[in-house]
Amino acid sequence: MMNAQQKINAPIPVISAGYLGPSLTPNQEAAWDEAKLPLNPDDLVQKMMGQPMRRAGRFIKLVCLGALACLKRVPPEELKEKKVGIFLATGLGNIDEILPFITQVFKHDGGFPSPNQFANSVSNAAAFFLARASEIKGVVLTISQEELSFESALWLAQSYLESGELDLALVGGCDVFTPSVEDYRERMNLNPGHYRNAPMGEGSSWFLLGGNSANKLGDILSVEIENNAKEIGKTSPDHLLKQCDELAAGILPAIEDRGTSRLFLPGFRLFDINEASWKKHGWDIDDYLPHCGISSTASAFGLARALLSRKSTLVVHCNQHATGRQALVAAITK
Amino acid sequence: MTTLGWSASGSARNLIAGNVRPAGVCSSSHLTNRDFKAFEVAYDGNPLEKSLKMLDASITEAFERAGLSSPEIEESMLLVGTTGGIFIRNEFEFTETVRQNPEKESPPIVCRNRGPGEVAEEIAQKYGIRGLPLTFSMACVSSSHALVVAAELLAQKKIKRAIVVGFEPLLNLTLQGFASLLLYDSEQCRPFCNLRSGMQIGEAASCVIMEEGPGRNAGKNKYLFSGGHLFNDNSSLTSAGTDGELVKRVVSHTLAKAQMEPSGIVAVKAHGTGTRDNDLSEGRGLSKVFENKLPPVISIKGAIGHCLGAAGTVETALWLSCLEEGTIPRSFGFTEIDPEIGFIPSQGNLPARNGAYLFTFFGFGGTCTSYLITKM
Repeated sequence: MMNAQQKINAPIPVISAGYLGPSLTPNQEAAWDEAKLPLNPDDLVQKMMGQPMRRAGRFIKLVCLGALACLKRVPPEELKEKKVGIFLATGLGNIDEILPFITQVFKHDGGFPSPNQFANSVSNAAAFFLARASEIKGVVLTISQEELSFESALWLAQSYLESGELDLALVGGCDVFTPSVEDYRERMNLNPGHYRNAPMGEGSSWFLLGGNSANKLGDILSVEIENNAKEIGKTSPDHLLKQCDELAAGILPAIEDRGTSRLFLPGFRLFDINEASWKKHGWDIDDYLPHCGISSTASAFGLARALLSRKSTLVVHCNQHATGRQALVAAITK
Repeated sequence: MTTLGWSASGSARNLIAGNVRPAGVCSSSHLTNRDFKAFEVAYDGNPLEKSLKMLDASITEAFERAGLSSPEIEESMLLVGTTGGIFIRNEFEFTETVRQNPEKESPPIVCRNRGPGEVAEEIAQKYGIRGLPLTFSMACVSSSHALVVAAELLAQKKIKRAIVVGFEPLLNLTLQGFASLLLYDSEQCRPFCNLRSGMQIGEAASCVIMEEGPGRNAGKNKYLFSGGHLFNDNSSLTSAGTDGELVKRVVSHTLAKAQMEPSGIVAVKAHGTGTRDNDLSEGRGLSKVFENKLPPVISIKGAIGHCLGAAGTVETALWLSCLEEGTIPRSFGFTEIDPEIGFIPSQGNLPARNGAYLFTFFGFGGTCTSYLITKM
């Protein structure tokens, strides 16, 4: 069942994008080591925000840093007098702040959590800090889904842009590393044979969408989320390739650009992509996981990185939910 | 599904009849601290089982009242508002382990849950819902924001139908968290009362079905979602500003968007938590909007507590169920007027006439939800 209501009706301009991976180097690829994660973001906070965030937890800091890495590419006047919304997607949320809080609550002989611990553990605290740091007032939504939350947020943001409720939408995904890799894998339901082999990671990657800037990076062309993809055999590698070919055939003639190349970004649930078959059909494969590791919202990293680094490229990202739901995001770079 | 009853209609009848018990000391086996009074659903059995039954009861009742067929359920979009999700599973398993090993020192609690989105996945799987699931975990406005988002998607015809669920079992996490903020009234939940000194938490599961188009004959009346507004104020993490300006702005915007005058509002279902700041912000804000023509203002929290992430859907479902009984319910917990607020919340049941009802919710993180539902 291709849910027509979950397709985007018109391209969404991507005015800016920004990404932050486990190396904590905004919009750059840098070496990192799972065994040494998580890194301390405080120096980067000082550098990017000009002051420390003393009471904020790590999730909150990464949300702000990733989003500011996106916004710093945008002249402030582009946001002035505009209705701007924030759509923060996360899989596991502020787990790094919840863990010490619950440990305190369930401490032997009774614990007394601090108000600051509690405030940091509330799921939408990060969106508040981002709204304050970016001076955005208006629609601010925190979408929490273990998987495909970024794709869902993207689809929702488009709905708000399409209706005119918003002029611009700051949409991003953030998930943070948890101290134990074993716990992290368990929480993400990473059973053997159901994900691509890669280290666990983290990231905060963002897009400013909407408007009609001449300096845009490209457009988001479609977000298709299919809930019973597995049941109807659409998640097989062959079917996926066919689906992407059809998508390209529908899009590329419409933009009248024969020089556009094709790039496929496989999400962490895709583990049996035959690169040679895709190449035969004109697709390059970009495995972005070595740069960000596995996290629930890694797709945002892959897409932001592709939009910032590729020219004249049709980019298609696909990921699948453990239950068989499938999300395809198509974008084209300028 | 509230402390007033295992259904919205039963809860409404008890609310109208005044069969309201005050919050009490909790007895659920997973609660480690017995100092907090809360609105706890009575149940003979374990708290995990109870909370899942609450969820089931509310969804089943909503499906039945809406008369939804299986294909209609299948094609619906699912929106969930919750703060703790199914974290009660962790709390229950942990406290059971400790209880069964009294001679051992408590182990550190293991946080196995995956996140708030678990609730939506469980519901989708159990009821065969194939539409896109979305979970909003946004403190006290989680499910009220979900209702407004659903209305927006329906208005754009992006979806045909929304199943909006709010779920909030009592958790050690939330009870102790709000205690750390010194936000409890140890005696009673007293919205808008001069003697108020804080909130009291309640537990609830709730479900509201919204559909695009003229609506079906699912009950005595039809209800139209006439407009909603989401706003995030970035000036304070915990307060909506006690001068009432933020509340005035949010409510005024909601009315303007719906092209409605303040005089068109039949009654206000206020957020009314019983905290000093919230009720002052809201009271002043409402007075500024309605001036000397304030319609009846009611907070339900004096009767069921603050159900946090479920507050939006549970208060909407309970309110509409009261309207189905032909009654606007009274506000509970009030004894003395606060001169800074300057009005008395409605102290008697009123006949529910047709027209627009205003709903307001204000939460942690500067979040504000306001919407209008018209009884046709």
